[in-house]
Amino acid sequence: MSDSPQDHNATANDSDVLQLVSFEIGTEEYAIPILAVQEINRMMSITRVPNSPPSVEGVINLRGRIIPVVDLRKRFGLSEVEDSADARIIVVEVGQQGRVLGFMVDRVNQVLRLARDIVDPAPSVAGAAGADFVEGVGKLEDRLLILLDLDRLFADTELPTEALAAAA
Amino acid sequence: MNDMDAGLLQDFLTEAGELIEQLDQDLVTLESTEGQEQSDICNACFRALHTIKGAAGFLGLDTVTEFAHAAEDALNKLRKGEVAVTPSVMDLLLQSADVVRGQIDQLAGGDTPDAADPALIAQLHAVADGSFGDGAAPAAADAPTEDQPAASGGADDLPGTPLKLGPQKMDLIEFMATDLKEYVGQLDEAIDGLANDATREESADLLGQIADNLVKTADFFELDDLTALTQSLFDIAPKLHEAKHDLLGDIVVRIRACRQLIEQQADALENERALSWDIDTITQRLGALADGESVDAGAHDDDVAKVLELDGVVSASAAAAPAPTTPDEPADTTPDDGPLARIEPEAPAPPTPDAKKPAAKAAPPAPERRNGEDRRQGDRRQSAGNAAPEQTIRVEVGRLEELLNLVGQLVLSKNRINALARDLRETIGIPHEDGERIGEAASDLDRLTGELQVGVMRTRMQPLAKLFDRYPRVVRDIARATGKQINLEVEGKDTEVDKTVLENLADPLVHILRNSADHGVESPEDREAAGKDKQGTVRLTAEHQGSHVRVAISDDGKGLDRAVIGNKAIERGLTTPDQLEKLEDSEVFRFIFEAGFSTAKQVSDLSGRGVGMDVVRTNIAKLNGAVNIDSIKGKGTTIEILIPLTVAIMPAMIVVSHDEQYAIPLQSVIEIVRPEDAAISSVQGQRVVRIRNTVLPLIDLREKLHQPTDDPYNRFAVVVKVGGTQAGLVVDRLIGQQEIVIKPLDDEYTQGGPFSGATIREDGKVCLILDVVQVLKDNTVRLADAA
Repeated sequence: MSDSPQDHNATANDSDVLQLVSFEIGTEEYAIPILAVQEINRMMSITRVPNSPPSVEGVINLRGRIIPVVDLRKRFGLSEVEDSADARIIVVEVGQQGRVLGFMVDRVNQVLRLARDIVDPAPSVAGAAGADFVEGVGKLEDRLLILLDLDRLFADTELPTEALAAAA
Repeated sequence: MNDMDAGLLQDFLTEAGELIEQLDQDLVTLESTEGQEQSDICNACFRALHTIKGAAGFLGLDTVTEFAHAAEDALNKLRKGEVAVTPSVMDLLLQSADVVRGQIDQLAGGDTPDAADPALIAQLHAVADGSFGDGAAPAAADAPTEDQPAASGGADDLPGTPLKLGPQKMDLIEFMATDLKEYVGQLDEAIDGLANDATREESADLLGQIADNLVKTADFFELDDLTALTQSLFDIAPKLHEAKHDLLGDIVVRIRACRQLIEQQADALENERALSWDIDTITQRLGALADGESVDAGAHDDDVAKVLELDGVVSASAAAAPAPTTPDEPADTTPDDGPLARIEPEAPAPPTPDAKKPAAKAAPPAPERRNGEDRRQGDRRQSAGNAAPEQTIRVEVGRLEELLNLVGQLVLSKNRINALARDLRETIGIPHEDGERIGEAASDLDRLTGELQVGVMRTRMQPLAKLFDRYPRVVRDIARATGKQINLEVEGKDTEVDKTVLENLADPLVHILRNSADHGVESPEDREAAGKDKQGTVRLTAEHQGSHVRVAISDDGKGLDRAVIGNKAIERGLTTPDQLEKLEDSEVFRFIFEAGFSTAKQVSDLSGRGVGMDVVRTNIAKLNGAVNIDSIKGKGTTIEILIPLTVAIMPAMIVVSHDEQYAIPLQSVIEIVRPEDAAISSVQGQRVVRIRNTVLPLIDLREKLHQPTDDPYNRFAVVVKVGGTQAGLVVDRLIGQQEIVIKPLDDEYTQGGPFSGATIREDGKVCLILDVVQVLKDNTVRLADAA
């Protein structure tokens, strides 16, 4: 048990503390549990996969393993922008089966510890993004953090529009 | 030992699964053999059941143990020839094997196995006591039901007295003997460490642990002397931390003497014998030495045998257990033939001159099988019964997959290095000699990687026997159920294929085989009427053909009826009477692979043919394989399957459509043409191309993959063929032919497209592999109209 002052709140009770990785997409700052994160990579060449859901950018080669990459901008219904040098692919493990996939973010900010009691449940009306995969909002001194529920974020079965178009 | 260790359970499941598989085959063979061969197989079956029973008992799986015991009793009767091998007895035994298999499956699924049907157990008991149906041989009536297979004749020549324990404990003896030997191996380690000041404490603790385990084992088997001996080891172990340096030699040699006694008992246990010694002196002296009191026992020269004599262990038990002298020790050290004499040649510690470090070199390296450390517990059973060193090891499939993955990446890196080397030589222009050297190194790497790849691939290869050996049972059951006489001939079951191929081949083969036995081969009466042998024959053959394996199933049954299948195909709208006439026989037969082709009520000749045939086609297509049918009415049917040896690596044609590269399995590619505009026309909205004398439908890959179709220019048509369907895939460019490493594309986000997987290009980018079957599938209806 550490007594260093900056850690004091956080270590009071570990179950009350969230360890998060925060990142930006558009103007918002999001956060996900650090334990879900496998790695964070620079942008790499993504191969498009026809007939996949629209927000799926394609697949990448993660050291010999082929995993899908989701464009969260499209997923959140934001307008597309050119990838900057800060853009990253965060590789996460989600769900019971340990499904591994990546998603693109504009910038990765920091790793932080957050007391659970400063996280409010998701507001009933969310902003640009739908609220179903927002787990809560963390109120920092100077800004707000949107905590994402990864399982829900990637569990939905949105129908691929291309497949629909092909069927028509 | 009551801990149901997960690893132990896993080992049990694997081994029991294999044993049951073997049992199944043996039981089927049993029926068709006689005399000595039959009794050999009978013994093998008995051993398999016995092993399962013992292991299940060890793990406390009472339901399995009970049932296996009943089946074992029944089999024992067969083994002794007291019950005749009749189909009904065999049905019962096969059914029993199924029950045990079911119980094992339940265990594997994490459930507690159900108890077997009491009726079945009752029937087994009936076999065992000779009252079962027609099976009882006359002599069976009052034969004793002796159930101690390991208790052999000639036991009286062995040292010690026979162990008398309950049957549950008797079953465990094999395991415990092996356990004991493992402990002996660990003891060696502890003893070695004791001599060294630096490791003494650690080794003393280890000794304590081992002794603790030994006491429990010895106590369980009611081996009183062994219990007392190991208990004394347990008692002194903690005191050794503080042991006096000058007494250490005396202590170590006595511990080593104990170790030897334990080993003898372990050996004796395999013959179900208990040894007894006079160990009062040695335990007393050990205790005194550990307490720091010197013992005036005489000079032992660090010689174990001498110590045993000095401490009165040897002579006391000599009368009880006479045995030949040890070759290493002349008669003067062991004047009385003691149990010591049974020491294995490698066991006695050679005398070490340096008394201060008696154990430094003294303990010989533990014999290969006692080294315990890295051996998996599941192998105990084998080591108990069979002394030969193992030639195979079990490896988790996951590890092999990892290796294969790494090799795949290595191949990619190698390709990159080669490309770099080429660049260096040709483009950048370095001195000729350097270029040569780089080239040599690169080609060495190339060759080694290639060999490594082949080597790793080979670890995944398994003989088809794994599948083929199940089929006699399948055919037998069908024959029994339908009253037919069918002989299954199997050839080439040693042919090896990749694990994935093997798994995907299992279902199709069963379907085809069932169809052949059930619907192909006629009843004995029909066969006689047709002038054939009453017994039908189904042949299952496998052989390598280049980079492919050819598996063929042929029967000498009634064959397929072209007219019946043709009519059915017209009825289903798969073809028209005009088209039908032009089709080859084999093309007509191919209709039976259509999904649901025979699900409706069938014309009798066709009945059942085609049930599950769709599965056959799909599974084989998954493996990039091909199926062909040949049949002559009244003579029989042959179904031939051609599959690539491995599915992990395959040759492919890399093409470009729009700005993406795709791989097309070379297996499906017939030819590549560059159609002239004049040859392309449109039939009912479907673009077709005339190549030589045939008209082929064209599928634009860009359209198929929803890519922009705005700048078409001179493009290629890759003519592909799946089953009987051919089409031209229109692509922009050809990159060329390559060996590609196949990776699964199994995430739900990426499953929707017409792709069978993905591969990784030289530059690390992902390239998708086209699933030609799916690409053609959506077009087939339109193709039929167009043709």
